[in-house]
Amino acid sequence: MTKTLSLAKANSHPLEPFIQKLLSAEALLPDSENNVIEVVGILKSYGVVLDAYSKNLIYIADHQFLVLFPFFKYFNGKVTLPQLLRHWWHDRINFEYAEYCMKTMLWHGGGKMDEYLDSDDFLQQCQAAVAAKIKTNLPIRALNGLFPDFLPEQVRQLAYYSALGQFWRVMSDLFIDLSDAYDAGKVQTIPEVVAFVKAGLVAAAANPITYAVEINGTSYELLPKSAGLTFLMDVAVPYVEAVFFRGTPFLGTVSYNAQANQISADQGRFEYGALYADPLPIGGAGIPPTLLMQDMRHYLPDYLTAFYQSSGRGLDDVRVKICQSFQKSMFCVTSASLQGLLPHPADTQDPRERAANHAFLSGWMDRLATSRLDIVQL
Amino acid sequence: MLSALILIPLVAALVLILWPGKLEAQTAKVVSGIGLALSLALIGFLATQFELATPGFQFEELLPWVEPLGLSYRLGLDGLSLPLLAVNSLLSLVAIYISEPTLHRTRLYYVLLLVINSAVAGAFLAANLLLFFIFYELELIPLYLLIAIWGGSRRGYAATKFLIYTALSGVLILGAFLGLVWLSGNTSFDYDSGLAAALPLAQQISLLVALLIGFGIKVPLFPFHTWLPDAHVEASTPVSVLLAGVLLKLGTYGVVRFGLGLLPDAWMALAPWMATWAVISVLYGSLAAIAQTDMKKMVAYSSIGHMGYVLLAAAASTPVSIVATVFQMISHGLISALLFLLVGVVYKATGTRDMTVLRGLLNPERGLPFVGSMMILGVMASAGIPGMVGFISEFLVFRGSFLIFPVQTLLCMVGSGLTAVYFLLLVNRVFFGRLAIAPPTVAPQLDIELPSVTWRDRAPALGLAVLIIAFGLQPNWLARWSENITLALHQPYQGFVQARTQFAPTAVPAVADTLFVDPALTLPTPVLPVFAAPSVEISLP
Repeated sequence: MTKTLSLAKANSHPLEPFIQKLLSAEALLPDSENNVIEVVGILKSYGVVLDAYSKNLIYIADHQFLVLFPFFKYFNGKVTLPQLLRHWWHDRINFEYAEYCMKTMLWHGGGKMDEYLDSDDFLQQCQAAVAAKIKTNLPIRALNGLFPDFLPEQVRQLAYYSALGQFWRVMSDLFIDLSDAYDAGKVQTIPEVVAFVKAGLVAAAANPITYAVEINGTSYELLPKSAGLTFLMDVAVPYVEAVFFRGTPFLGTVSYNAQANQISADQGRFEYGALYADPLPIGGAGIPPTLLMQDMRHYLPDYLTAFYQSSGRGLDDVRVKICQSFQKSMFCVTSASLQGLLPHPADTQDPRERAANHAFLSGWMDRLATSRLDIVQL
Repeated sequence: MLSALILIPLVAALVLILWPGKLEAQTAKVVSGIGLALSLALIGFLATQFELATPGFQFEELLPWVEPLGLSYRLGLDGLSLPLLAVNSLLSLVAIYISEPTLHRTRLYYVLLLVINSAVAGAFLAANLLLFFIFYELELIPLYLLIAIWGGSRRGYAATKFLIYTALSGVLILGAFLGLVWLSGNTSFDYDSGLAAALPLAQQISLLVALLIGFGIKVPLFPFHTWLPDAHVEASTPVSVLLAGVLLKLGTYGVVRFGLGLLPDAWMALAPWMATWAVISVLYGSLAAIAQTDMKKMVAYSSIGHMGYVLLAAAASTPVSIVATVFQMISHGLISALLFLLVGVVYKATGTRDMTVLRGLLNPERGLPFVGSMMILGVMASAGIPGMVGFISEFLVFRGSFLIFPVQTLLCMVGSGLTAVYFLLLVNRVFFGRLAIAPPTVAPQLDIELPSVTWRDRAPALGLAVLIIAFGLQPNWLARWSENITLALHQPYQGFVQARTQFAPTAVPAVADTLFVDPALTLPTPVLPVFAAPSVEISLP
C-alpha cells in the first residue's frame, strides 16, 4: 500500500500561518488597538475621497463621452470662476489618482468585463454610440475612418470609468458605514473590521454593473444588464488584482529599467500594487500614490490625526504615515476579499473542500510572499 | 583698537573660567556668543573706518615688548587680514552655536574655542614675525585638546598626528623667520616688505623653502597633508568647521604674507615650481576625494585640492591672482564650513557618514530635504557654479594665473572639474534614491524614521549659504578690501609678470588685468570694473 502524506502537510506553505488566520476568520494584519485606529480612521477618510472619485468617474463616463479634449472633466459640470481658481490653486481632490487606477484596471483587464468589451455585442453598441456622437463632427469622422480602433478603445476606457465609479460608490458607503460602526462601538478589532468589509462585499456581490450613455435623446447600452456583469467577480476582483497586486511601476525614487528586464514582460508577474508599495517615496514629486495620500490628509478623523501627531515627526511626514496605514487597511480589505472568494465555507469539515480552500489561499499567498505583509506585522 | 579683537574672546574665556558654580552649556554659549558677536561688530566697525586706498597697515598698534629679541607687540590691519578676521569671528560664532549642549567638560570646551579665536585673530593682526609665530603656535594647543578630548574613537592618534605635523610646521617657520632677520642683519622682527631685499638669492630661496614647507603643512599641501583627513574625521563638527574654515587659512595667509610679501626674488625663482606643486596638490586632493567613502573625509580631501588654488594664484602673483588668493581663502572658508556643518547634521541625524550605506536623504517627508538642498548648494558652490562665491574665486584664480602659468592653470581647472565629479558622487549616493541609512537586510524592518532637523540646526547653514550667494553675486563686497594691498604686494613682481605673460602682446601690461581696482588709482589703461574686462584680453592673439 502506498503511503500518502496528509493533505495539510503536503500543502505546507511558507506563509501557512496566514492561511490558517484567513481560514479562522482572522486577518492578514495583526489585531492591535493602534492598527484598529489606523485602519478604521484611514478607511473613513478613504471613504470620503472615494465618494468624490466615484462621482467624478461616473460624471466623466456619462457626460464627457468621447469629449476628446475634456478640459473641465474634473468639474462635474459646474464650471464657475471661483471653482476654476480653486482648481488652479490646487485646492481640490486629485481626481487624477482615480484615473490612474482606472487605467491600471483597463491595462491589466481580467474578469468578464474585459471579455465583454472585446465582444461583438459591445462593438455594435459602441459603434452605434460613436456614430451618433460624431455624426456632425467631420474631422473626427475622418479620424474614425482612418483609425477605426481608436474611438472604440476610448469607449472601453469610458466603460472602465463607469465601472470603477460604481465599484467605489459601494466601497465608499461601506467604509463610511464601517467608520460609523466603529464610532458606535460595534467594531473594535481587526477581525471585526474584516468581517464588516467582507459582509459588505458579499452583500453587494451580485449587484449588476451597467453602463449606458445618452446621446441626442437615445440611450446606448454599452454594458447592458444582459451582459451579466456583477460587482464582485467582474469589477472588485479585477480591481484588487490590478490595484492591490499588480499596479504600475510608477515613476519614483526607485528607477526601473525595462530594457534590463527589471520590469517583467509578463503583466501577471507585476508586483507594484498597493500591497507592495514602499511608503517612503511618498511625498516625492510626480509619484501618483502621493496624490491619494494628499487627498486623504484633508479628511483624517481627529483621533487619527492625534495618533499621527504623537509619533515621529508628527504631521510633517503625515503622508508617509497615511500610506503605511492605508497599506494596513488594504491588507484588511484583501483579507475580506479572499475570505469572500473562498470556494467553500471557511469552516467546512469536508477534507476535499478544505483542501480546495487551502489551495486557493496558497495561490494567493505565493503572490504575497514579496509584499509588505511581513513589515505590517511589525 | 585691534588689541580688542584679541582681548574680547580672552575676556569671555576668563568670564567662563571664573563663572561660579557649574557652568551650563547654554550659559557658556551665551557668554562666548556675546564675546564673538562683539568681535564681529568691532570688525564691522573697523571696516567702516578702513581706508580702501591705503595699501599698508592701518589702525597700527605698537608696544615695545622684548626689545633685545626684536619682539614687539605690533598689530596692523590691511586688506589681506580684514576679510579673514571677519571669517574667523563668524565661523567661531557658528562653531559655538552648533556645539552640542550635552558635551562634557563644558567650561574647558568653550574656553578653548575662544582661545583659538583670539590666537587666530592675533596671527592675522600681527605685524611682527615673532608675534605672528607666537599666535600661530598658541592656536595649536587648544585645537589639539579639542580634538583629543571631544573627538571620535581615534582622537588620540589624530590629535597627536596633528600636533606633530603642525609643531614641525612651527619649527620651520620660526627657523625661516630667525634666518630672515639675522641674515639680513636686522634687530627687529617687525614686518617690512624690504626685509630680505639685500639677501643673496640662495639664502632667500632657502628661507622661502622653509616657509613654504612650514606653511604647506598647515595649508595643507601634498605630501604634507596626511594629518588633515584624520583630524577632520576625528574632530567634532564645530571643530571641523573651524579647522577647515579658519585654521587652514593661517597657512595660506602665511604663504601670501610672508612668502610672497617678504621674499620676492626667491618667490619669482620658485614660482613655476610652486605652480606645479599646486597642480599636484589640487589633482591629488581631488582624486583622493573621489576614492573616499566617508563624507567628511571627502570634504577634507576636497579642502586639500581647493587650497592648492591659493598656491597657484600666489605663484602667479598678478594683481588679479593675488586678489584671488584672498577670495579663494574666504570662499573656501565659507563653503567648507557649510559642507562640514551639513555633514555634521547628517551624522547627527543618521549616525553615519558612510557613503556606501546612506541613500535618499533628500526624501521630502522622512529624510533631510533642507540639509540635502543646502548640501547641493554647497557642492555647487565648491565646484564653481556661477552665481556663488566659488565661481568668482576659481575664475579669479584661473584668470589671474593663466597668462603666467597656462599649463598649470589648465591642469588646476581639471581639478575644478573633478570637484564636480566627487561632489556629485556624494550627492548622488547620499541624497538621491530610496531613503536608507543602513545596508539592506533580509529581515523585515520598519520604515526609517529619522529625527527631523530643527530650524535651530538649519539656521547656520542658511546663513552661510546666504553669504556664499551674496558674495557670488556681488564679489566687489569682498574684493574691495583687498584691492590695494594686492597691488602693493604685486609691486615687486611687475617685471616678472610681464616677462612671463604669455599669449598677450607686451604692449598691454598684465597689470591691467586687475579687475577691481579703480582705473583712476594707479593704472594707465582703462579697465571695466566688472567681469567684461578679462574676456577681451583673453581673446587677443
